[in-house]
Amino acid sequence: MFYNIQQYGGQQAIITKERQLTYIELQQLADSYLFTSENKELIVLLGDNEVEIVAAYIAALQARHAVMLLSPALNRELLIQIVSNYRPRWIVAINNSEEIQLQGYVQRNKMLERLEDVRTAIHPELAVLLSTSGTTGSHKFVRLSYRNLQANAQSIADYLELNQTERAILNLPLSYSYGLSILNSHLQVGASVLLTGESIIAKSFWSFVQEQQATSLPGVPFTYQMLQRVGFMKMDLPHLKTLTQAGGRLDQRLVQLFGEYARDNNKRFYVMYGQTEAAPRISYVPSDRLLEKPSTIGIAIPGGQLSLDPESNELIYYGENVMLGYAESLEDLAKGDVCNGVLHTGDVATVDEDGYYTITGRMKRFVKLFGLRINLDEVERKLEALLAQPVACTGNDDKLIVVTESEVLVDAIKQHVQELYKLHPTAFRVKVLEQIPRFANGKINYSALKDE
Amino acid sequence: MNNEQKLRNIFAEALQININLVVDDLTYNSIPEWDSIAHMTLISEIDNAFDTMLDTDDVLDMSSFAKAKEILAKYDVQF
Repeated sequence: MFYNIQQYGGQQAIITKERQLTYIELQQLADSYLFTSENKELIVLLGDNEVEIVAAYIAALQARHAVMLLSPALNRELLIQIVSNYRPRWIVAINNSEEIQLQGYVQRNKMLERLEDVRTAIHPELAVLLSTSGTTGSHKFVRLSYRNLQANAQSIADYLELNQTERAILNLPLSYSYGLSILNSHLQVGASVLLTGESIIAKSFWSFVQEQQATSLPGVPFTYQMLQRVGFMKMDLPHLKTLTQAGGRLDQRLVQLFGEYARDNNKRFYVMYGQTEAAPRISYVPSDRLLEKPSTIGIAIPGGQLSLDPESNELIYYGENVMLGYAESLEDLAKGDVCNGVLHTGDVATVDEDGYYTITGRMKRFVKLFGLRINLDEVERKLEALLAQPVACTGNDDKLIVVTESEVLVDAIKQHVQELYKLHPTAFRVKVLEQIPRFANGKINYSALKDE
Repeated sequence: MNNEQKLRNIFAEALQININLVVDDLTYNSIPEWDSIAHMTLISEIDNAFDTMLDTDDVLDMSSFAKAKEILAKYDVQF
């Protein structure tokens, strides 16, 4: 298992600006977290990219407790709700534990401990709980087993050809599945992780990269936009051999640009696809084929399989890394595997003659009314063009719902929808909300919209 | 409007903060509004407004309002 780290002894495990820990020292630090209990408990880790969080994470896994990783940027109210909903036995909150005074918890050693003795039933295979929506989140978590994490760590190590000489930058949050997978896959092979919370636009980040001779750098699409702007391609980084990208579709122009840069500079650039539900890696484009297949999500990771639903073209993934299921309450932690290794990704895709997949849209943005498939994004676009006002569409398979922020538009919307889609008035509804719920980046928050 | 005022407006706009908060020792990451996303917006607004194309080092170095003026001076923007 990737978390049985003692075997790597004196090899460097975690390096930060302030300290360097060998695998033995990391194990010693993990041993200072005394998660002693006769029962399987839930532990909340609140904090990103800190050595102490890594140590507590390893300690929790070794003791076969379940770990919930939360972002320290999480809204206070939501944190209180999650804690009262899931009743963790321990909370590890580095740096700010004094500030976090939670009712029913006391500070004991390096963590907060629940005062009340309640027995919680947790499935023996449950290892990690990750939020599907980051800091804006809900109470919904993905349940990952030890086997899920191990399978994914091994697959990633295989296709990225990781070995002990790697020195991977890890600046993505550990509470984010992509960040966590970098840690797991590097622990798996006894490599070194360069842990930092700094962004690539901080000058000190680049001196860390250079001094520590980082060999790989991960990024989400926005990271690559920034890398381009800060002139990454002109930097002299002889040790940096691998770039990875995940966390959303990267603009094809940037895929091309970084692909060519990698080819010309004897580096490897991996475009990858995944979902937290798969711990998270699902597919990757082998770096030597990227320029041939720049718009694809590539092929399944080692040990996994992809296929398309013959009717809907939904991308379906099969593998040992597919989650046990979701959890929305404490009771759900007792549940076993409800997915059986099959993940319906919710993405619609095509596959080419070489077996490379390309995502063409999202399943859930369709409603099927009277056998007619209606693309919600398209309805939105058409209505916005006609009205010059924002609208948001949602719905289920018996009703289309159009949300507007303006009461006076209701009749016009009804008329347009009837004309455009020849829909019977009972098949759709126009709703007025004071504000269409949005994420900080301005994108519509459809899950919140659905709850309205 | 002089360049100092122009730059202050750009900062207030890009970081979405009150213009009174834009002072010399306003530094990157010292307020939640000035994160990496806002920083990239800031750089692109500065490039547009002053018709510059800031170098890598300058993009990374621009860690305070005072520093921004110092850097822009190299591009012949007078303060």
